[in-house]
Amino acid sequence: MYTMPDRQAMVWLYLTAACAVTPIVLNLPWWLNLVFTLCIGWRYASDHRGWIRPGRLLRLLLLVVVVVAVYRQYGTILGRNAGIALLVGLLGLKLLELRNARDYLLSLFLFYLVLLGAYLQEQAPWLGVWTLVTITVSLVAMLQLNQPQGLALRERLRLAGTLLAKALPLMLVVYLLFPRIQGTLWGLPVDAHGALTGLSEIMRPGSINSLGESTTPAFRVTFEGAMPSPRELYWRGLVLTDTDGQSWSRRRTSPAEPESFHALGEPVRYTVTLEPSNKPWMPALDLPAELPMGARAQPGYTFEHPTPVRERLTYTLSSHTRYRTPPIEIEERASALQLPDELSPRVQALAAGWQREHPEPRAIAQQALAHFRNENFVYTLKPPLLGQDPVDEFLFITRRGFCEHYAAAFVTLMRAAGVPTRVINGYQGGEVNSAGNYLVVRNSDAHAWAEIWVPNDGWVRVDPTSAIAPERVELGIDALRRLEARGVAPGSLPAAAVLRAIELGWFEGAWRHAGWYWDIANFNWHRWVVGYGKVRQERFLKNFGIQNVSWEKLLALLVGGAALVLLAYVAWQWRRPWMRDPVQRQYLRFCRKLARIGLVRAPHEGALDFARRCLTKRVDLQPAIEDITAKYLRLRYDRAANEEEWRAFKREVAAFHP
Amino acid sequence: MSAVTAPVDTVLGRRQLYMLPTRHGLLFALVLAVLLLAAINYGNGLAYALTFLLASVAVVSMLHTHRNLHRLRIAAGACAPVFAGQIAQFEIVLTNNTPASRFGILLSQNNEEQVRVDVPALNSASVALGVTARRRGRLPLPPFKLATRFPLGLLYSWSRPIHLQQFCLVYPAPSTPMPFRASPAEALRPEQGLRPDGDDFIGVREFLPGDSSRHVDWKAFARTGILAIKQFGGGYQTLVWLDWDVLEGLDTEARLSVLCRWVLDADAAGMHYGLRLPDTTITPDHGEAHQHRCLKALALFQV
Repeated sequence: MYTMPDRQAMVWLYLTAACAVTPIVLNLPWWLNLVFTLCIGWRYASDHRGWIRPGRLLRLLLLVVVVVAVYRQYGTILGRNAGIALLVGLLGLKLLELRNARDYLLSLFLFYLVLLGAYLQEQAPWLGVWTLVTITVSLVAMLQLNQPQGLALRERLRLAGTLLAKALPLMLVVYLLFPRIQGTLWGLPVDAHGALTGLSEIMRPGSINSLGESTTPAFRVTFEGAMPSPRELYWRGLVLTDTDGQSWSRRRTSPAEPESFHALGEPVRYTVTLEPSNKPWMPALDLPAELPMGARAQPGYTFEHPTPVRERLTYTLSSHTRYRTPPIEIEERASALQLPDELSPRVQALAAGWQREHPEPRAIAQQALAHFRNENFVYTLKPPLLGQDPVDEFLFITRRGFCEHYAAAFVTLMRAAGVPTRVINGYQGGEVNSAGNYLVVRNSDAHAWAEIWVPNDGWVRVDPTSAIAPERVELGIDALRRLEARGVAPGSLPAAAVLRAIELGWFEGAWRHAGWYWDIANFNWHRWVVGYGKVRQERFLKNFGIQNVSWEKLLALLVGGAALVLLAYVAWQWRRPWMRDPVQRQYLRFCRKLARIGLVRAPHEGALDFARRCLTKRVDLQPAIEDITAKYLRLRYDRAANEEEWRAFKREVAAFHP
Repeated sequence: MSAVTAPVDTVLGRRQLYMLPTRHGLLFALVLAVLLLAAINYGNGLAYALTFLLASVAVVSMLHTHRNLHRLRIAAGACAPVFAGQIAQFEIVLTNNTPASRFGILLSQNNEEQVRVDVPALNSASVALGVTARRRGRLPLPPFKLATRFPLGLLYSWSRPIHLQQFCLVYPAPSTPMPFRASPAEALRPEQGLRPDGDDFIGVREFLPGDSSRHVDWKAFARTGILAIKQFGGGYQTLVWLDWDVLEGLDTEARLSVLCRWVLDADAAGMHYGLRLPDTTITPDHGEAHQHRCLKALALFQV
């Protein structure tokens, strides 16, 4: 009844298997890959070389071995990773024994589940492309099973491609309109978001000896107007006030209302697209004038998402880069002056000296920055580790550090000098993607700076890092890395020399340019595939004026949209028969060309009559008209007409210009 | 389900076609359901995309399955006469006037899949539908169905039963060999005279339309370019009358069977023979056409 899978069909099944397993091959235990490959090899040898196949007993034994081995590897056979491993092992064994069409298709379909396993590991763009390849191969396998003869390989591939190409628009409609739900049906495994890292809630200068180099984007920003200058691009994430001398953390109070301030310039409007970070922080440009929808206000003009951000989040904001904040309350002032119980006397003495000299807060800050500049401090991305009293050690012994060290030391000194100060943790700078006209802020752009409280002006930003390494703020962390890679100490060269030093070679420049396009592709991939959830769907539908979508409405839209696509296909397929006759189509093209010079064929007029009538008007066209008409009649009515004549006919019609 | 009745040919239209998923199609749907649940559970965009893409491929393949049968012209071709008990081979000609080839067309009768055929684009293919001829007479072409599972085997499309007005002539089954019996009126006798189709070569004459190609002198034609007919003659022919009446005592079908056997034997022996039935008489002659005329008379006797 159904055709049995022949050797050719089996080969296509092996190809599908290889395609489906490839993305997870590195995640599977090596022995499983070996078993899987050996199973395919054995089956192939038995089909083509006449090797004997394993008997039922051996197969049962192999089954037990695979199940036990998976259990030993993962400690379970039910989890996600163990499940995929088991599926791959069982499919390998199935390939050894399968003999009928049903087994064949079942295996083929189960390889789609193996692909699903790959998606659960990562959802990279290349995996999307690879999926198309795998589906094409599997479609050829199905064609081979269902129609073993009659089609050449090229035709099979073309048919599979046609099916896939026609399916894509339909798939897009369903994909975009299928009601997405927030959250999950069942619980996700604990490790589902393990890989994500955002800004840490606690800053511990001296506890790490190298700054994170992860260049994965933290967020992307599109500005509505002009982009502020790089030195203004301070993205505040969270405000750290409390310290025990070693670590800095947030104040544990939450204002009910967002704090207000007095704006001094024009607002900057922009949209932030935040990558999932597994942290609730929502970075904003200094200082945000409003609270984004769904966000919760936090101390110090910051806000956060009610839950850790696990889906891409988009919010629109306006900020003012010039501002004056209102006076602070006693409680806030006290916490901004809080110092560790045992402050090193050296630090106290240094701060006290500045306070005596110039009691004004700004002047004290200037002295602190001058101290960093003049006292042989070095900005480095790989500072030495610090011990019990990191601030003291940094200030008087190592003098090597990055933003966190400088911020922590600066704030401690300022507080010791009686100036309310706090640490701001966030991002500074970002890379302008000129190809996509947006700013990419990466995890490596993370930065820490300080705010001092000045009477009348309120909180004023002071970035101690900029004193020692102005390149960090002017050119960004990437430039600093390049400087360091070339062995140039930050702050040691004049600006022009720095620019020359970090200039990119031709290849590096091209590479960077390609990187921008890659980022755009990635951005869109994330936007439309990885992060396309309920929120994105609502935003997408809003573009078409569809609001307040319920799932019933979505399903109705989905069915309607899919029906439209199908109708278009059906209309194309059932269009009038003469449209489908290639000879007739060419002849009508010829007639249209003649109609353009006023020679319109009457509905009752045959080809010969029409040609005769045309010739009475335009004798000059005689050879072409006669030839085309003769060829047409021959192709249409003479069975002996051949391919060559058809090509010549097409050529002549194309070349006919009355 | 009413059938398509057409005199000689018919074109499959939309209304004559049906479609349902195959068992394999249901299996496919089950796997898609699992994929969809996983996609929803993990909120995985790629899993959604895979699920919907595969589902869309299945839906699009529906159009292809339908198109594989749609607008196929079905005509009845010739059917060579057979003897009762043999299998009549009805020729069915499938014509594809579209630029898309048709693959894996299944021709079935009585819900048994029988023949599988491909019809290339702008071309036709013929298939033989075998039907056992149980009785002599005219055997009508039974209604049959066209079906297909092309391209992916997930869907099965079939047509309403198609009735074409075509018959196969079924001669009576020849009886076991039996010697000729002389009719009372004219005993079996050799008849002398010059017969046009003897064994001896007697000369050549010019080709006339209607002459058998078997007797053309091809060698001469190759030499001279003139079509000439080799004439034979001079043989002595035996003339025999095959008579219904000499078989008295047997029933009608048995008599026809014996007469059928005699016709075959007489022809094989190169005799000239005539046939006498209660309602018809066929004058003695010989040759293929004559044999057919006699057998046809036997086949359609009192039908």
